[in-house]
Amino acid sequence: MSLTITCPICGKRDGYEFRFGGEDKGPRPDEDGLTPQSWCEYVHLNECVAGRQKEWWVHKDGCGSWFTIHRDSVMNVEVATPEAHK
Amino acid sequence: MINRINQLPTLRVDPANKVIFDYKGKDYVGVEGDTVATALYHNGVRIFGRSLKYHRPRGLYSLDGECSNTCMEIDGIPNVRTENTLVKQGMRVKEQNVKGSAENDMMGFIDKLDWMMPAGFYYKTMHKPASIWPIAMKQIRKAAGLGVLSPDFEMPGKFDQIFPSADVVVIGGGPAGMNAALAAADKGLRVIIMESRPWLGGFFDYRTFDYKDAQYKNSKPLYSRARELASKVESHANIRVFKHTSVVGTYTNNLVTGFQIGTENDKFNERYIEIRAKSVVVAAGCIERPLLFENNERPGVMQVACVHRLARTYGLLAGEKAIFSVGHDLGLEAAVDLFDLGMKILCVADVREDGQNPYLMIELAKRNIPYLKGWVASKAHGSKRVNKVTMTTLDGTISRDFECDLVIASAGLTPINGHLTLAHAKLRYDSHTNFFVADTMPEKTHAAGRMLGLEDSLSIEVSGKLAGLNAALDCKLMPQSYGNTEIDALKSEIDSFTAQSKELPGPARGSKFVTAPVKGRKSFICFDEDTTIKNIKQAIDMGFDVPELIKRFTSAGTGPGQGGIPGHNLPLYVAKYTAASSKCFSSSGSSSIQSLGATPKPTNVRPPLVPTLIATYAGSKHIMMKRTPMDEMQRADGGVFRKIGVWERARYFSDDFSCRKEIENVRNNVGMLDGSTLGKFRIHGPDALKVLQRVYVSDMSKVKTGRVKYSAMCNDDGCVIDDGVVVKLAENDYYFTTSTARAGATIEWLRYHTRFDGWDFYVVNLTDSMGVINLSGPNARKVLQKVVSQDNGASGEDASNKASIQDVSNEAFPFSGYKEFMIKNTIPVKAMRLGFVGELSYELHVPSSYMVSLWNIVKEAGKEFNIQNFGVEAQNVLRMEKCHIILGQESEQRTNLLDLGLGFLWDRSKKDAKTIGAVALRQAENDPTRFRLVGFEMENNGRAARDGALIVDDKVRGYVCTARDSFSLNKAVGMALVESHLAKVGTRIQIFEDECGGERIYGTVVPMPFYDPDGKRMKS
Repeated sequence: MSLTITCPICGKRDGYEFRFGGEDKGPRPDEDGLTPQSWCEYVHLNECVAGRQKEWWVHKDGCGSWFTIHRDSVMNVEVATPEAHK
Repeated sequence: MINRINQLPTLRVDPANKVIFDYKGKDYVGVEGDTVATALYHNGVRIFGRSLKYHRPRGLYSLDGECSNTCMEIDGIPNVRTENTLVKQGMRVKEQNVKGSAENDMMGFIDKLDWMMPAGFYYKTMHKPASIWPIAMKQIRKAAGLGVLSPDFEMPGKFDQIFPSADVVVIGGGPAGMNAALAAADKGLRVIIMESRPWLGGFFDYRTFDYKDAQYKNSKPLYSRARELASKVESHANIRVFKHTSVVGTYTNNLVTGFQIGTENDKFNERYIEIRAKSVVVAAGCIERPLLFENNERPGVMQVACVHRLARTYGLLAGEKAIFSVGHDLGLEAAVDLFDLGMKILCVADVREDGQNPYLMIELAKRNIPYLKGWVASKAHGSKRVNKVTMTTLDGTISRDFECDLVIASAGLTPINGHLTLAHAKLRYDSHTNFFVADTMPEKTHAAGRMLGLEDSLSIEVSGKLAGLNAALDCKLMPQSYGNTEIDALKSEIDSFTAQSKELPGPARGSKFVTAPVKGRKSFICFDEDTTIKNIKQAIDMGFDVPELIKRFTSAGTGPGQGGIPGHNLPLYVAKYTAASSKCFSSSGSSSIQSLGATPKPTNVRPPLVPTLIATYAGSKHIMMKRTPMDEMQRADGGVFRKIGVWERARYFSDDFSCRKEIENVRNNVGMLDGSTLGKFRIHGPDALKVLQRVYVSDMSKVKTGRVKYSAMCNDDGCVIDDGVVVKLAENDYYFTTSTARAGATIEWLRYHTRFDGWDFYVVNLTDSMGVINLSGPNARKVLQKVVSQDNGASGEDASNKASIQDVSNEAFPFSGYKEFMIKNTIPVKAMRLGFVGELSYELHVPSSYMVSLWNIVKEAGKEFNIQNFGVEAQNVLRMEKCHIILGQESEQRTNLLDLGLGFLWDRSKKDAKTIGAVALRQAENDPTRFRLVGFEMENNGRAARDGALIVDDKVRGYVCTARDSFSLNKAVGMALVESHLAKVGTRIQIFEDECGGERIYGTVVPMPFYDPDGKRMKS
């Protein structure tokens, strides 16, 4: 796998050690006021950006932690966190 | 059989060591170092196979496996590239895609029917009416294609995978690559060099011309320079050499993949290699661009390096009377060298107007070899192999025939760019070299050598050195790698080499794109797919204008050679023809592309760059299964083991796979089962309860000390992913079990669904460190009583306390109860009273290291009752009779909690917990389209339907989850997921099975559970 990912605890490792956890869509919404539509969108709809996106990964063969990185989905490389997100 | 020239210093074969192999049932003799192709050529084989579509005879052409011409079946494996495969003792070699033999193929007449098969003919014919296609398909499959693989073929050999890392990876072991490797390695970096041939040396390796290097006062032939470099590289401590290794992919982040073919001494036949590097040097060199003329792939037509290497590397003269039609100096050099080796050369035609190396011109003249400037081969004659060739001036005005047995044809060189473009380099057409060159290079990647257009040997070496130093600089610029002084020194060294390289000859002018002045009905642009110039013209005339689309429509470049033959010619031809036809020019002749104003666009290449065995990607057959602590003992007791998930488990304990004895023993007596594969976890910390509330559908705050609670986990769609029990050990400290299959994913799941909350908790996976014995049956309590009483009284606890701990009566240890006790003052047991199999039943959880001891203690205590093992299948039947579900059997991905009738587990009041699945369950509550889990029994005492059989009427209405002939109930029963209108008790269901030959079998929906509906047995 060409992708490498920087785990906040273990450092930069081969992408094989991680599992993808989806785009970052924010915390779970409150149950009150949810329509089937809005719930379905939260769970299933993705932006699928061609370019830089923020996403969740788990270091499954390492420390087991969940964390976010920014990844260029076209080149499939991890990119630096933009200033606005720091 | 032709004679081998045995005394050449350039030889890579050992003529003294014979290798006997089998070709079409007869013994043939090759020598050590021969490829299968060269050994066959040595034995006089000229026609290696027949082409895909037209069944045209095909022979040796390039010697590097760039086309399917010489693909054969070797030891049962079809489509083996014989040019790249070393011959081995006892190999069995066969030709493929022939009816009869390659020499006399009964399908050869198809070649005359090419007019019936224009470009895209598969797409345009034989689909109207639709009924024609199945008939046509059968005939096409018989006639077309390459090798045939037997469906029950099993791949022999050993395969392996390695994942090394390196500072610098060098692709290509030629002069540039070797210089790059040495330059980087001398800077203390770890270097890997990959070379596709079994030796280092590249295109220096077979050439005897002088190595013109000012640094070496005594000039020496190129091959000895190559061997000098090779010995330096191979003895360098920092360089790891992979020979006979094809690179198949390059990716971002400098990842390089390939495969290596093992030698006799290796423990693998082939192995996959995946290298993570900090910087990459690509020095892949060039291949030759095929010359386009009529019958340009007739056996006897070969490329320059093919003939030259046959002679110099293998000691074989490819023919007696040769005609050259070339477009570069390597062609002239080969003519001179082959003449000296004894080949008769009738003439050398050169498409170039000027730019020839004057030294080579003198050498040609010295040998009286006729030289035709501005001439080109236009047609090869001879039905099975070349016996004559027509030579023509480029404008087509003058022609002359030559009788010959060899046509050495090559239009020019073309760089092997795949390694760059796969890593996202953008290519541009360069009119000076006539190459596609990289416009933008991938990060930390450097190209060197002949692929840049360099011809001068010193220029090539210096370009390699520079690339190696630049790669070294990449590594040293990485954070915290090296000090500034070292980097400055490296930079100034690079500057001085850059200056030196400017003094040397730069990229040479490449030959212009030339096609012979012919119509092109039999001028093949792609050999693998039998695509002619005429086909390309047809596609363009139909309106295709982009090479990428023309490639697909005509299938040029989609064969096993991966575009090696048409890769360069196709875009050039398309550019030329579209430009020419738009300006109403004649499509023949040698007009420059640039002057016509069209820019050639290369087609994409994709990995694997070289055909790779799937077996190589699969690697070695590691079957890694987990074994429980009881594995050995259960095997000794006659357990029949099966792979279940990641585990090997005892499924049966006799040859009777219906497990009648095991089942009856549990129902009437007492049995024991190894349940160690169950997922086991401890969660503790201030927020532990919050986590459980999030992931379990029930209200986990109601879990009471001393009791077990059964609950389920759902996903965000409300679908059940797991079920198990939870025990409260202390405040915010819980022990819980998951199904065997979920154990691996549980912690990840908990952490994922709490990732925004910042909760403080710890989860420990105890699956492997705890074992479980399941003790079940009416006599289970008696056995347990004996086990817990084996306290030797060594502990200091007071007697009454001990008595209450050891009391396992129904009152003291009721159904759903939880108890902790020590056995023999040593073995700590977490005991749960459950009833998965529908009988009085205990689960004893102990540390894995005590499992064997406890197992023996239980077995010993059970002896007087004749306790027996039972396996996973018996458990499956027992729990099915009780309608206890197993997730994955009574559910699939879309099955939610309500479908299974487990809605009672769901606590809808805990909205604040944001329980996973709750929203979806609420939304699915009144959905009439969902499946329901029902119990059914077979009609008329029929046998049980098979698991997975379909419930049907005129449509599929559901499926059977589990069904068995029940000994306890004396009838066949099962559970099924069905549409809700079939869920009512008493409904008749029709079951369809693959094996039933159209006859349906029938069952009736009955109430669940089937066995002991009141649960008296497990609760008393």
